[in-house]
Amino acid sequence: MTESTMPIASIRDLRIHFRSKAGVVHAVDGVSFDIRRGETLGLVGETGCGKSVTARSLLRLNPMPPGIHAGGTVEFRGAGELPVELTGVDESTLRAIRGNRIAMIFQDPGKALNPGLTVREQIAEVFYQHRADELLDDIGLTDRAGLVRTLIAREASLRSRWIERGLLRVPPLRAHRAALRRAVDDRVTDALAETQIPNPRAVMDRYPHELSGGMRQRVMIAQALACNPDLLIADEPTTALDVTVQARILDLINDLQRRHDTAVLYISHDLSLVRRVCDRVVVMYAGKIVETGPTEDLFANPSHPYTRGLLAAIPSASHQRGALAAIEGTVPELVDPDPGCRFATRCGFATPMCETTDPGLAPVAADHEVACFIHHPVPGGVGPAYEKAAT
Amino acid sequence: MVDIPHKLPAVAPSTESALRVRLRRVRELSASVLANPTTVLGFVLIVAMISMAVFAPLITEANTPDPYQMPRDWGALNEPPGTDGFLLGTTNTGGDVFYGVVWGARTSLRLSLIVVGITVLVGVLVGSVAGFRGGKFDEILMRLVDVFLSIPELIFALAIAAVLGPSFGNIILALAVVFWVKYARIMRAQVLHVKANEYVDSARIIGDSGWNIYRRDVFPNAITPIIVQATMDMGHIVLVGATLSFIGLAEAGLAEWGVLVSEGQAGISAGRWWASTFPGLMVFLWALAFNLVGDGLRDVLDPRTETAR
Repeated sequence: MTESTMPIASIRDLRIHFRSKAGVVHAVDGVSFDIRRGETLGLVGETGCGKSVTARSLLRLNPMPPGIHAGGTVEFRGAGELPVELTGVDESTLRAIRGNRIAMIFQDPGKALNPGLTVREQIAEVFYQHRADELLDDIGLTDRAGLVRTLIAREASLRSRWIERGLLRVPPLRAHRAALRRAVDDRVTDALAETQIPNPRAVMDRYPHELSGGMRQRVMIAQALACNPDLLIADEPTTALDVTVQARILDLINDLQRRHDTAVLYISHDLSLVRRVCDRVVVMYAGKIVETGPTEDLFANPSHPYTRGLLAAIPSASHQRGALAAIEGTVPELVDPDPGCRFATRCGFATPMCETTDPGLAPVAADHEVACFIHHPVPGGVGPAYEKAAT
Repeated sequence: MVDIPHKLPAVAPSTESALRVRLRRVRELSASVLANPTTVLGFVLIVAMISMAVFAPLITEANTPDPYQMPRDWGALNEPPGTDGFLLGTTNTGGDVFYGVVWGARTSLRLSLIVVGITVLVGVLVGSVAGFRGGKFDEILMRLVDVFLSIPELIFALAIAAVLGPSFGNIILALAVVFWVKYARIMRAQVLHVKANEYVDSARIIGDSGWNIYRRDVFPNAITPIIVQATMDMGHIVLVGATLSFIGLAEAGLAEWGVLVSEGQAGISAGRWWASTFPGLMVFLWALAFNLVGDGLRDVLDPRTETAR
């Protein structure tokens, strides 16, 4: 495979468990999928199915402890860089990737911005962290950083960036300070202008509480996309916004994504949104992937009983009042789960065999995989089928 | 023309410097603090009493050799207020009450500044490490806090005085040892609370280091209850200090309000009210002033907690 067709990130057999009073919770249990360059991938599932934990493992944001990395790899291939295995990489490399190559936006922009810092300070920090070299260049201090480095004979590496950082935090001359300010301001303004914020120069000096929800979300997007990341993780980015703003934010992300060739991982439980914006969809249930495929194919031919249930549960304008189709039962306990299919307890088609044997993911169509015995050869016993349950 | 009743915030010009943005914020905050008349009253009292402490040598001539000892005139015992040379009268040992009140402010300021300074520093440090690092640090430090929490301040001060002898320095020591615990607990709770905010995650995902996150995101958003508590304790500590010196844990004859009250208490039944009343009033005003300002600060800095009005 050439670089352009290689997936930007590959998650393989990822297992993340959490220690709790009741026992070890298998929050993510053997999840594998790829995120391709520039695509929009939807990660769908109900609350507690492990979709956020999976996405956060791309940034190693899951608190450990109580979290346990019980196995699997997360490989990330930034443009023109060597692949990095994110679960095992050291802290400084990880920090160089965070916010630079992989960025994230949150559900509630009101909570994701520090209330005590102006918009400028919050966005500027990204440049201080990841564009220190460029900023030094702009204010003409690169030579000095090099000089210091030669004097103490240290090699430039991610680990020893403190010289650059130090020079940026305390510019030696007043002229440098002014130049640095201009350089940072220009970059922050550009980042804000990208998100179509009116009058970015004025917004820069506002505190988050002085902005509306939609504006805050734009500021957060500006911060996330400031360094043109290869991958943007969007954790239900529009749930906290009202519908009209929602549409505009989605369009904005879409537009920025196309222009910068950024891959976006959408985490959502809103299937109509996923259908609108995503190229491919991964459906998770109770810590495992039950179905994955191209959006159109998956919505046209949902193959897993759970996916079918989810799609049937979307109310549409033509629905009668009170005719909502809920999936019976609740998500099973993830403490020491049974070896079988995790949906078996709620599945209308389950046979005794489903409770003892786990159907692995296997293809049903091009690029479309499903984990259910309805579509797979049964290893033994009686397999489930849609027809039988209908009688 | 119609007057619009409320002003919209002026749009900041693009040339506004970071410093000026900060100043704008400080101006807004101080304006809302000073909008409350009781806070202003407290503030005026504090300024008056602190100036009295600072300018004490200009108000009454310092006693030699030790200015913190009240001057004694054995020829003028139990003089009532207004006597020539003794504005607020004298005690039954000839101590100048006015001198004690003025220099007592200095003693009190020293006490409250040192104790609050040390305890806030230690408490914030311990609470931050416990809350931010978590895990074993948290466990060990919080057990340490539990130990100190079980020390009764009065009895501990008595014990220190018994071991090291009665002195005002030992009162400071005893209070400093006991009071940091409160700050450690407040700070830890605050840090845990702030750490759970998404903007801390957000700072981590832009690649910030732990120290940077603490400095920029956690500390400024966690410190406000400490500021309020410290302001109130500036008053409270003087109250406790006066109690301790009243029961005799400070040097005899020290220019301190608690000492002065205890010197004067014998005379109260004989109608010599002044030696106890004036220093007692000062303790009351000192504690009141800092409480008023502390309340005002809380209303502005931490609007979620309701204060009884």
